[in-house]
Amino acid sequence: MRRGYLIPMIAVLGFAFLYAPIASLVVFSFNENRLVTVWSGFSTRWYAALFNDSQIVDAAFLSLQIAAVSASIATVLGTLAGVALARLGRFRGKTALTGMASAPLVMPDVITGLSLLLLFVSMEALIGWPAGRGFTTITIAHSTFCMAYVTVVIRARLSDMDNSLDEAAMDLGATPLRVFFDITLPIISPALVSGWLLAFTLSLDDLVISSFVSGPGASTLPMVIFSKIRLGVSPDVNALATIIIGIVAIGVIAATMIGMRRPQKT
Amino acid sequence: MSAGALSSPPRPWTRLGRWLGRLGINGRTAVILAPTLWLAIFFLIPLLVVFKIALSAFALGQPPYAPMFRWGADDSLSITLQFSNFLFILQDSLYANAYINSLRIAAISTALALLIAYPMAWFIARSDEKYRNLLLMLVILPFWTSFLLRVYAWMGFLGRNGIINNMLLGLGIIDQPITMLQTEGAVFIGIVYTYLPFMVLPLYTTLVKLDQSLIEASADLGARPFMTFLTVILPLSMPGVIAGSMLVFIPAIGEFVIPSLLGGADTLMIGRVLWDEFFANRDWPVASAVAIVMLVILVVPIMLMSRAQNAVVETEK
Amino acid sequence: MKKPQIAADTRPWRDPDAVPFVRIRNVTKTFGDVYAVDDVSLDIYKGELFCLLGGSGSGKSTLLRMLAGFETITKGTIEIDGQDMAQVPSYQRPVNMMFQSYALFPHMTVEANIAYGLKREGLPKGEIAERVAELLKLVRLESFGRRKPHQLSGGQRQRVALARSLARRPKLLLLDEPLGALDKKLREDTQYELVKIQEQLGVTFIVVTHDQEEAMTLSTRIGVMNDGKIAQIGEPQEIYEFPNSRFVAGFVGSVNIFEGVVTEDEDDHIRIDASAEAGCDIYVSHGVDCAPEQILWYAIRPEKMVLSRERPEGDANIVHGLVQDVAYLGDMSVFRILLDSGKRIHVSQTNVSRYDPEGISWDEKVYISWEADAGAVLTS
Repeated sequence: MRRGYLIPMIAVLGFAFLYAPIASLVVFSFNENRLVTVWSGFSTRWYAALFNDSQIVDAAFLSLQIAAVSASIATVLGTLAGVALARLGRFRGKTALTGMASAPLVMPDVITGLSLLLLFVSMEALIGWPAGRGFTTITIAHSTFCMAYVTVVIRARLSDMDNSLDEAAMDLGATPLRVFFDITLPIISPALVSGWLLAFTLSLDDLVISSFVSGPGASTLPMVIFSKIRLGVSPDVNALATIIIGIVAIGVIAATMIGMRRPQKT
Repeated sequence: MSAGALSSPPRPWTRLGRWLGRLGINGRTAVILAPTLWLAIFFLIPLLVVFKIALSAFALGQPPYAPMFRWGADDSLSITLQFSNFLFILQDSLYANAYINSLRIAAISTALALLIAYPMAWFIARSDEKYRNLLLMLVILPFWTSFLLRVYAWMGFLGRNGIINNMLLGLGIIDQPITMLQTEGAVFIGIVYTYLPFMVLPLYTTLVKLDQSLIEASADLGARPFMTFLTVILPLSMPGVIAGSMLVFIPAIGEFVIPSLLGGADTLMIGRVLWDEFFANRDWPVASAVAIVMLVILVVPIMLMSRAQNAVVETEK
Repeated sequence: MKKPQIAADTRPWRDPDAVPFVRIRNVTKTFGDVYAVDDVSLDIYKGELFCLLGGSGSGKSTLLRMLAGFETITKGTIEIDGQDMAQVPSYQRPVNMMFQSYALFPHMTVEANIAYGLKREGLPKGEIAERVAELLKLVRLESFGRRKPHQLSGGQRQRVALARSLARRPKLLLLDEPLGALDKKLREDTQYELVKIQEQLGVTFIVVTHDQEEAMTLSTRIGVMNDGKIAQIGEPQEIYEFPNSRFVAGFVGSVNIFEGVVTEDEDDHIRIDASAEAGCDIYVSHGVDCAPEQILWYAIRPEKMVLSRERPEGDANIVHGLVQDVAYLGDMSVFRILLDSGKRIHVSQTNVSRYDPEGISWDEKVYISWEADAGAVLTS
């Protein structure tokens, strides 16, 4: 076929479209000017301002804690759901579990947030738990929607895995539980790691659900950022964005290098 | 099998298994039960609660709705079902407009995303195998950075004192800043930008599986490149087109952050209406009714998507 | 029969008093409405190398998986060494399996793979190390113990899988297409090695294969499966020379089949009128359990037929046709012949001399004849 220039051009523009805004965030985080988009010289003053803003620092810590705990819960539950759906054959309620495990993926955040808040309020009225809203309720909410993503990742990995590996272990005298810890778990461990990271990122990123289910005094990082930028651009948010982008970039490069060093497995 | 017959002492796993067995839970049941129960409590029941509250009356107080079940003085149970919330949102043109607007904005954004993503996916699928994963990673990478901050970046781009206006003014192309932020156009850009990776990925998955010889065969049989695209490539990538479109369309309908940061006061979208109904008006029953109607609207696209996704998975085999 | 008599103790299936090691009784397995295995009964004796031969979907793999305990039995019983297996989970059976995909644990070294089953038995460390070294020696992989499976060639992986499945000293080893993933040359070498190891250890092998040549070379006996049923059980030679049905005759080796009607039915011979398909009578020099006027089939292998330009003596077992094609295969040539009756047959001839200018070639009219005991009479 004749090699046209149209498609590569659109593709290049597409990539530019994806990266130009991110690049601008980084560049202007080092801008000396208070007006974010008017360059007036190099400075790191906004980074200093960021670390002196106790509201942002506290919110970041809260978000990191919530993300770590809910990513861990989501990974455990998502792995169990993935194993149940991919490995346990037919069982009663399989259709229900399949539906419930994938529906959170398409549920709008506003509905998830609203429904969980209403649940927490009703539960508090009925059984007195959870008392008030904050860390616990946000963590439960995040675990629930992140679990759906982990389930997808684990299920995909398990259906790629040769079924006879499990059978071979069983044939060699391992009980089903033993097979899970000796064979299944080590083989799907890369999927566990990426599932956890995905859940961690999604939790760290969530604004809408957190806003619904959090209470006074428990503001996550996205909630603080949102209230700041709602009124317009602000240079310390650029600094924060640059730090996050930096961490992601380092993480991705590290993951790629580890992936390249490890030989391909079947 | 008795433990004494074994030459070695029972292992921890054996002991754990026996302990669970005594509770009448074997490993299999436990694996199924744990996630099912969690999802039933924290996903299914909440939706039922939303439904229940949508049928309750608004009341001042905490929580701000009237109980549905009430014990009368004569020990009779009265159940109060209020369909008025639904009637209210159906009659008030604000809500109808918000729903129609959400569908329209989501549809236009999806079409725009498809127009950009298709050439990108094609470009990646047809590029040298060495670079494919790198290019794919470049598409996914922004997804790992904060969604909120990526939307924020566009505020800096599109604002009255933003980068685009400054550049155009500096080049002398315009002499008055153009209003770009707080328009519907900004919302389109925000949605396309945020969800582009979700469009590219399923398209790439179907296109990379497309056998090059099909294209050659079509050319060999006399079809011009555009004809080949229409009659061979597009039909075969249809599952990817549908799956990708739904992955953009569905979240776009319920979107809250993008319209409230990039859109104007008149950019009504249903996610935003729900949010305001809840946080500003504190009318939980109406917010719940809005949510239920939104769910009903989403049923068809969700079903379309799950069918298309199965088809995408099929082509992978 | 012309077979040489071998001492009965090496062929326990010929001894009516021998006790089978594996007893499969009326076993049926259904998946929904589909009968994967349909009422199969089979006895396998200690020390045998038994091949289950069949095409895909014949039920051979399902039968093997039921022996290993990966599939439940819908109906019937399986006994191994006198013990009913119905309630025994796969991890407690005295049986090990070698998987078609080898199923080597990718995250463990070769040594750890082989040691896995021994660890589950709870053997002391020293003993495990000793056994592993022994097994590595058996499969000639002494220096590969520390490698991971992905660092091995296909043939080496196959040997690791074999060593791993032998580690627990199973009484019965199940092998699912053990040579299926190897290329042709390697497959031939490995076949002999497999037989050698089997004889050396005295383990009973049940091998599933779709490759008839492999089944013939390896096995003491073959069970041919079709549509979930056992079509025939017998020693390789029996299966090849004395097939019991058109299916078995056609599945194992190539064959020419003539349909005919019995005209003479005596104790010492029968005569079949096969004029429609062969254009001649077929004379069989032994009695057959049949009735006059019965329709039956005569199956004869291509190498049992003789070609000649002149008409041979006799009034039966002679057909006439035109050589349409000669396929030269090196060790032999296969002639495709169109008979006067319109039927096509194959005849093969060993190439005894390197070059024969007088040899029969295409477009020649030839006579084809065979001995009175060269073919098999089939009633189904």
